[in-house]
Amino acid sequence: MTRYLARRLLGAIPLVLGVATILFFIVNLAPGDPALVYARPGMDAATMEQIRANFGLDRPIHVRYGRWLASLARGDLGYSFARNRPVTELIAEILPNTLILAGVAFGIAFLVGIVLGVIQAVRQYSALDSILSVLALFFYSMPSFWLALMMILVFSLFARNVWEWPIWFPASGMTSIDYEFLGGWERLADRARHLFLPAMSLALVLSAGIARYMRASMLEVIRQDYIRTARAKGLPARSVVFKHALRNALIPVATLLGLYLPFLFSGTVFIETVFSWPGMGKLVVDAINQRDYPVVLGGSLIFATMVVVGNLLADILYAVIDPRVRYD
Amino acid sequence: MTETRRGRLLAGVLPGVPQLLEGRWGAGLFALVAWALGLWTLLVRWERVSGLPYESPGEWVALAALVAAILGPWLWSVRGGRLRAAERGDGQWALTLRAFGRNRLALAGMVAIGLFYMVAVLTPFLAPYDPVHQGDLASQRFLGPSAAHPLGTDQFARDVLSRLLYGARVSLSIGFIAVGISVTLGTLIGAVAGYLGGRTDSVIMRFVDMVIAFPRLVLLITVIALFEPSIFLIVAVLGLTQWPYVSRIVRGEVLSLREREFVQAARALGYSRRRVILRHIVPNAMAPVIVAATLGIGNTIVLEAGLSFLGLGIQPPDPSWGSMVENGRDVLLRAWWISTFPGLAIVLTVLSFNLVGDGLRDALDPRQAGRR
Amino acid sequence: MSHRAKATASLVALCLPACGSDQAAPTAAADAFCAEAMAAVESFTSQLPEPTGERYGGTAVAASYGPLAGGMNSLTAPDYSARQHHAFVNLMPLVRYDQELEFAPYLAQSWELSEDGGLTFHLRDDVLWHDGKKTTAYDVEFTYRRAADPATQFPNPNYWAKYAPGADAVTVVDSFTVRFQLEPHLDYLDAWTSTAIMPAHLLANVPPAELAQHPFNTRCPVGNGPFVFVEHRQDDRWIFRRNPAFPAGLGGPPYLDRYVYRIVLDQSTLLAELLTENVDFYSAPDPDQSGSIVEAEHLDLRSFPFRQYTSVVWNGRKPQLADRRVRTALTMGVDRGEIIDVLLQGYGETANSSVPSFHWAFDPTSATEMPYDPDGARRLLEEAGWSDRDGDGVRENEAGDRLAVTVASNQGNAVRADLAQLVQASLSQIGVEVQTRILEYQTMLSTVLDPEARDFEGVVWGWVNDFRIDDTDLFHSRAVDGPYALSGTVNPELDGLLDTLQLIVDRDEARPYWHRYQRALMEEQPYSFLYFNHRLVGLNRRLQDVEVDVRGEWVNVGSWWIPGDLRKYGSGGDR
Repeated sequence: MTRYLARRLLGAIPLVLGVATILFFIVNLAPGDPALVYARPGMDAATMEQIRANFGLDRPIHVRYGRWLASLARGDLGYSFARNRPVTELIAEILPNTLILAGVAFGIAFLVGIVLGVIQAVRQYSALDSILSVLALFFYSMPSFWLALMMILVFSLFARNVWEWPIWFPASGMTSIDYEFLGGWERLADRARHLFLPAMSLALVLSAGIARYMRASMLEVIRQDYIRTARAKGLPARSVVFKHALRNALIPVATLLGLYLPFLFSGTVFIETVFSWPGMGKLVVDAINQRDYPVVLGGSLIFATMVVVGNLLADILYAVIDPRVRYD
Repeated sequence: MTETRRGRLLAGVLPGVPQLLEGRWGAGLFALVAWALGLWTLLVRWERVSGLPYESPGEWVALAALVAAILGPWLWSVRGGRLRAAERGDGQWALTLRAFGRNRLALAGMVAIGLFYMVAVLTPFLAPYDPVHQGDLASQRFLGPSAAHPLGTDQFARDVLSRLLYGARVSLSIGFIAVGISVTLGTLIGAVAGYLGGRTDSVIMRFVDMVIAFPRLVLLITVIALFEPSIFLIVAVLGLTQWPYVSRIVRGEVLSLREREFVQAARALGYSRRRVILRHIVPNAMAPVIVAATLGIGNTIVLEAGLSFLGLGIQPPDPSWGSMVENGRDVLLRAWWISTFPGLAIVLTVLSFNLVGDGLRDALDPRQAGRR
Repeated sequence: MSHRAKATASLVALCLPACGSDQAAPTAAADAFCAEAMAAVESFTSQLPEPTGERYGGTAVAASYGPLAGGMNSLTAPDYSARQHHAFVNLMPLVRYDQELEFAPYLAQSWELSEDGGLTFHLRDDVLWHDGKKTTAYDVEFTYRRAADPATQFPNPNYWAKYAPGADAVTVVDSFTVRFQLEPHLDYLDAWTSTAIMPAHLLANVPPAELAQHPFNTRCPVGNGPFVFVEHRQDDRWIFRRNPAFPAGLGGPPYLDRYVYRIVLDQSTLLAELLTENVDFYSAPDPDQSGSIVEAEHLDLRSFPFRQYTSVVWNGRKPQLADRRVRTALTMGVDRGEIIDVLLQGYGETANSSVPSFHWAFDPTSATEMPYDPDGARRLLEEAGWSDRDGDGVRENEAGDRLAVTVASNQGNAVRADLAQLVQASLSQIGVEVQTRILEYQTMLSTVLDPEARDFEGVVWGWVNDFRIDDTDLFHSRAVDGPYALSGTVNPELDGLLDTLQLIVDRDEARPYWHRYQRALMEEQPYSFLYFNHRLVGLNRRLQDVEVDVRGEWVNVGSWWIPGDLRKYGSGGDR
């Protein structure tokens, strides 16, 4: 198993490097000049040149590529042009935010998706099945920024100002202004309150896909011989479904966990922007718009790594859950 | 006999109704609504139909569609209203169609999609105003829904309904064309990799892995920055970033098909590789691709909306649903209609595509041939 | 193995909500610098007595979409909101503008300019850096030397154009007196209103080229202004607290316990946050949002004239735009009043030049010039030889070239794209065909600013003026091959005026020349000047005595206060 892991991870290195290299050239050759963001009347050509030199942009592209590779080997991703901080420091500060959001959203999505899928499978072709799948697909079909905006309207603005619900949720940020002054449990509650809207928006979109897989997987398992046998033995339906079928039906769904991992990054861009969640997706999109090459590359490296790790995780999960699978 | 004659008579007056009465409400409803829409356009909007200059291809297509919408359902219904492919034979497609026909949700989605496309094509006749025409800015901005403007007007005093209709043409074709590109490319590459196997296969699949590991948004934004944003560019980029997923599916199918007897036989007959791949393997590997394509169209429409949100989608003054939603967002509290209607249009369209996709998947999967 | 993996996974899950704010360690040197700086601030400020009184207390939350890029370093940060925070929140410039836009003492309590160009500042001796060190003339010297060094990438090097070159420019006379050597010029103090003084004792050893990236800026700034830096969370918030040592002579410590600046990226969300009272002060809402703010009972909408003007810049190098009559017609053919109503909801005023109406140099008689006059525009075009010869609604010249222009605007800026559409609609009425072209922002900058490329006809463009207006780089023929000469203007009268204007020290003496300059610009029409937009602020009424004016929205943040019963944010946050 260890050896298998090592082989897979080693194999991933050229992949990630390849992605990074192609991206390096794409973003560097794109029109636009990061120094121009600083340009304003009164700034002469010499100063502009100086800014480019400070960014290391005065060197030919192959030299820059060489230097970038060399510093990458040292674990250094360079300095952000626009945010004026080391990229590693930025990512270290920002990545956990995305992980919290995506982690919680994943948790909710899998829970909701699995429950929905099981209900639909057990009641296949019933009205309930149809209603649930249309409902799940309804959220899935919404542009996520639009869904997010609706969530804010309903659960923040209208809930507080119009309907005066006792519970409403803040529309942005990760913590309240007075977070530092709260006790331990209050802090947790405060974070949960801030997480609610973004995590739900993300989870609603994800859970439709998961429910779809779960339903199919469950249907397949239910039809298999051992379930029929269990039923025939007169075991109660509930126990059959939950003890035998559910466990086996979860196997393919678990692999989704790995495959959805890249979604952490791309899917959260819109959610992070609308809810002002300081995360990776927003960081990288900003960086592209500002031609902040080091951040774009750093973020993309993380993304590519996540894809690889996600695939690997899917395989491992498969092995952990299904004892029949053996890796050597 | 009399039954049939009465049916034909009814079909002559109201196409689709006999089929509806037979309980085949998917086909029946579609025929009836399409026919009614066509007839309504012809009668109520006759001035438009007769008054258009017929200069652009879009207008000719609209005219052709109008004729088809009126005559098609009528002829089909009068001549018995059968879907022959579905009822005869027991080939894969016939089985699939029958299975699909039993899935009401999927049928509803199919009918809805058909109607959306019809409306989009008929837009030159249907849209009450020019979608980019600015009305009187002093008095006609932010008007709520009314008789003159059924869906209200936007910040430039443009008619939201007209923009929605023209936006349908953009949004619906974006999905279609982008998926067309990705399916064609993905199928070819996947089929070649799967069929040839060996080193070619592993090189191609490494490449596919790499494209998948590429952050798509980064690529999209960069490419859109490289060139001036245009509808064409956005469609091309959306299509060119989606193919690897199709490739993976097709390759998997081909790997299993390759060892099947009919392919072995074709090879033994000495057919060229090209012929074997294109004539024997690809058609048999298409089922999952069609499912992926259906779902892909919906995803593309949502993605275009997302790009609009980032300011990268279809650029003004051309309307797309995504850009309409985005533009109306700031004034949502004051003029909810500007972005709510295009938002609903996106949801309904994508929902329909997803229902059809799911239905097709179920229908194509023999393991899920249900009890009914 | 699987059990252990599960255990770890659940640990991670438990840790996620609580451990999120922990940050991984960056380079050790930066950590050490910041740890030391912040410890010094803590140990100094914690022993100071806090002021008492009815108005003292509470937390105000301001928010906008800008991240205060570049942080609290006035030497390198170009961003408007960041510079506002330097000048009014965390740091102190030598001089500030008063309400009449006259120069008023701040860190410098007085100054004099001698005949030979010696500018001497006498500093206050009671201003302390937040770590307890005195702010002295050496800090001013350090700030100037770095700002004048091209390696620092100071955003406005033009400020020092008339200063003596090299080391002679600045002399420290004594700890609180500093002398500059310069050629006297118009509003020579302006540079010192927006260049806040930086602490030499912390940054003197940093090479100039590394100043922009120094951890001081975003992780541990030490200022001397009314508010002390507490914490910065990237893309989330900046937290400041009261500086109890802020000199009584300048108003004393601010009333607010804490002032927080939040970064909310999306404007719709920001509006929701203001409406739900999570944010007290929303800087620069979209004009479209003004209605919702005005309607809300607990909110107040403020607006103030801003220094930014928006125009369509015409590239006079293109043949169809070379004739000033054509450019004049293009301006007259656009209904600027309507544009202000439609795009700005009325929050703006028509521009006829680069000089805004609040400015002392403004020529009030120019305000009513160039009204919307499509007939006049048509006449001018006929006169210039453009008439519709083939009856297609678009004018042609004698050679048969159509009067068609492409107007570019940048992607992602809805107002500008909308503006291009409005211009297109108006100009089609006078027989000018306008194509709109939307370019990605960076691509547009390259297209417009690169003297080699410059492949555009018209572009929707906004410049932000300083209070000292200097259009030399825009309109002087000397700069015509430079990056900012978008219009390619060559006009001897403008050249002469631009040269003269910058050399007159006395405003009254300069005023007639400025009026002539505005006339000359109106005749030349290098741009179709459209409007000066007002800047808006959405304000929660619990926040008292907020003044926003042309100087900016944070101009009196030290005097903001919140009545005791309206303070939120419980224990500790709001005592």
